[in-house]
Amino acid sequence: MQDHVYPSIYFSYFFFALMAGGALYFFVKSLKSGYLGRNSEEPKHRMLEDDEQGGIR
Amino acid sequence: MPEETNSSVNPSAAPSWPVHEDTTAKWFLISSIAYFFIVGIIAVVIAAKFVWPSLLGTVQYLTYGRLRPLHVNGMLFGWLLAADMGLTYFMVPRLCGVKLWSEKLGVATAALWNVIVLGAVVSLLMGWNQGLEYAELPLALDVLVVVAWIMFGANIFLTIASRKYDQMYVSIWYIMGTILWTAFVYLTGNFAVLFATGVNQANLNWMYVHNAVGLIFTPVGLAIAYYFIPKSSNTPLYSHKLSMIGFWALAFVYVWTGAHHMIHGPISQWLQTIAIAFSLMLLIPVWAVVYNFFATMKGQWYQLKDNIALKFLMSGVVFYLLTCFQGPMHSLRSVNAIVSKTDWIPGHAHMAVLGAFSFFAIAGTYWMIPRVFKTSLFSEGLANWSFWFMMIGGLGFFVTLRLGGFWQGWQWNNVAIPFIDTVVALKPVWIVRFFSGILMFLGIVSFSYNIMATILGAKDRPAVAA
Repeated sequence: MQDHVYPSIYFSYFFFALMAGGALYFFVKSLKSGYLGRNSEEPKHRMLEDDEQGGIR
Repeated sequence: MPEETNSSVNPSAAPSWPVHEDTTAKWFLISSIAYFFIVGIIAVVIAAKFVWPSLLGTVQYLTYGRLRPLHVNGMLFGWLLAADMGLTYFMVPRLCGVKLWSEKLGVATAALWNVIVLGAVVSLLMGWNQGLEYAELPLALDVLVVVAWIMFGANIFLTIASRKYDQMYVSIWYIMGTILWTAFVYLTGNFAVLFATGVNQANLNWMYVHNAVGLIFTPVGLAIAYYFIPKSSNTPLYSHKLSMIGFWALAFVYVWTGAHHMIHGPISQWLQTIAIAFSLMLLIPVWAVVYNFFATMKGQWYQLKDNIALKFLMSGVVFYLLTCFQGPMHSLRSVNAIVSKTDWIPGHAHMAVLGAFSFFAIAGTYWMIPRVFKTSLFSEGLANWSFWFMMIGGLGFFVTLRLGGFWQGWQWNNVAIPFIDTVVALKPVWIVRFFSGILMFLGIVSFSYNIMATILGAKDRPAVAA
């Protein structure tokens, strides 16, 4: 029987690196888009009024 | 094929708001509630088997080995993930200010998801089981899960891509994370793991098991909480900036923690230490999330008196805090030496999956169903009963299993005590577990009945008032 242990582990490492790289890329992109900047609080007000029944409880 | 928006609803308030069909969300929610009820019966049966081990023991389809994976997979994929997907189909179009990219693709996804869950019921009862924790489903069903997830992910990402607003609310970030992380976690845990053996296989499996909770149910659960806590309390989130810090902290910390399930096992010490260190670092995103929710509720706690969705949500937040404090603590080598593999672990897992994330999903369902069916809830009183049944039953379950787990671990650490004596000694714990399970099941029955009665009698009651 052929041993596939290391290819499968390397596949998982590769996948992990891909996801970590993607996370880093989007983290930097979110910083540039101002998510931690001065106007970062706008979405929380908008979400309360964003549907056809805005504001009902 | 983005569908056009209709500006005819509420034109004076917001002329460009789309009319949401919500067909997909309805299908997912209704089927998930049906599975919640059915798998709840199985949960009670396996809890009874702890107390009366010979119960139904002569029927091969109803043995513990067949029913336990059915309970786990049924609750995780039949109830919770399906409910979370239904709520995602509800939240994302509203947060993006557009219609769902394709309602037809969504309904096809819901149909496929039901095929998968029903296939899981048949295969697990037949004993067709891969023998890996949380990855018991046969390979053919794993492939269908991947296909369904691609359909779900494509629909949600294309909806987000067509959004009206530049900056996305934190729930959308968590949902995008859920979709991408699930791809990573599920493929590794269900496919790569099949080609590994021994310790390496165990390590991959535990990475999958832990991240199934941490990178699938946690982010989508938090997306739901971040959406429904402000919505149901009609109060803006305390800090969107803090919510983003919590999101990125979770993204960078969680994936390393799985190996804490193998502490004192035959894996490298450095890997165990990394898992412990990152488990402790989890307290950063957890506190960022919990503080944000508590601060949002400042001056609003009175609303819990008559707001059923908020009751479930804030209780879920407390359980989330407790379970996420417990997790890092039992990853410490000294604590782990006592509690590892004991009843403490199912107590911890149930507090996360039931106490926190199912409470969030139930709250979302109570909030969403009357609105999408343009009616009001069948019974507020019954909804309150469902809350208290689940709260008291859940507390009985969590507390008993934690204390029982410690007791069990201390006995196991004493070589003078024969193993069978530790099994007999735990019977009182399992009796309390069974009766707590009955209470939780009554909660599921009252919740399911209330929602179904709301849907079936929708035309007889007026829509929820503003």
